[in-house]
Amino acid sequence: MKSEPEVRAALRDWVVRTNGQVSPADIRDDTPILERRIVKSLDLMDLILFLEELRGLPIDVEALKPGVFRSIDAIWTNFFAGASV
Amino acid sequence: MSGIPGLRWMENGQASLSGPLLELERRLERMFLSWAAAEGAAEHRFPTFLPARELGKLDYFRSFAHLVTFPVALDPAQPNLEQFACGEPMTDDGEIRLTRAAPIRDVLTPAACYHFYVAFQGETLAAARHVTTRATCFRREAFYAPLERQWSFSMREIVCIGTSDEVKAFLARREAAAEAAWRRIDLPIEWKHATDPFFQPSKNPKYLAQKLDPVKREMVFQDRLAVGSSNFHRNCFGEAFHIRRAGEDAFSGCIAFGIERWILAIVTRFGPDPGAWPDLETG
Repeated sequence: MKSEPEVRAALRDWVVRTNGQVSPADIRDDTPILERRIVKSLDLMDLILFLEELRGLPIDVEALKPGVFRSIDAIWTNFFAGASV
Repeated sequence: MSGIPGLRWMENGQASLSGPLLELERRLERMFLSWAAAEGAAEHRFPTFLPARELGKLDYFRSFAHLVTFPVALDPAQPNLEQFACGEPMTDDGEIRLTRAAPIRDVLTPAACYHFYVAFQGETLAAARHVTTRATCFRREAFYAPLERQWSFSMREIVCIGTSDEVKAFLARREAAAEAAWRRIDLPIEWKHATDPFFQPSKNPKYLAQKLDPVKREMVFQDRLAVGSSNFHRNCFGEAFHIRRAGEDAFSGCIAFGIERWILAIVTRFGPDPGAWPDLETG
């Protein structure tokens, strides 16, 4: 299991790599990545696969609730910090 | 519901209004226009068709294949027209026997606000832009019901194109004004999160995105009928149509009112007697 800083850094790297235009300094942990379409709808399935790999557990897409991908903070809280979404 | 005086219903999902119902429609429009005026929104009037290539920029046809209506015309080649005219152009049950159709390059307006993004494409906005329009919109449905679910219906929209904060503040103001109005006239309407009616939603990542980051709130009458909606488009239209604001793709949002559904809500709530309908002009 990766540490919290490692997970957050990996998430930021994924967001920057996927977007292709923003720099790591543009992405704070509370930046609303869906609302600002830094992560776009077409990237969502890739994000889910990336999260499954990163945490080593599957994600039930049907059970996902609004807001779980809002920001790096929200992803950490919902998928890593002892949560089991 | 088709027994309401002034309502004439056609089984192909269209209604005509006259008398007190038409007057009610005008009063509703004045109320919506007063909200547009509060934003300083410039009014626009658009034609019925939208170029298909413009909606294609939004991947509209994959997302809403089940809703779209196209204007169809005959291929103008003389032999084709002769074949059509000299044969039996229509069956006994009213179905046109098409010969060859001309290429379809247009769409009947499916939602009023699309026209704005097409009209403003390529522009850089120095300030938030507020606009309003009313359009006859066309959506194919599995079934139709008078004033409730029509192939063609009227939509009034008030739109803001600007920064994310400008659009969010606009939506908050318009939502508050609409809510204050339906509370004052005592219509049982509540906000509910919704998603757009995508074709095969489970296969559409846009549906998943809307579910995970709700951008649409509907005004739901009596827990069953959406009479309008508030929509935050993020920067989808700004990006697709190259509209810029403050150095980035513009954000946009709209508040939309289904005029026939508002009429139905008022008639359902207060009855068919115009004397019992609420005053819409104040507030």
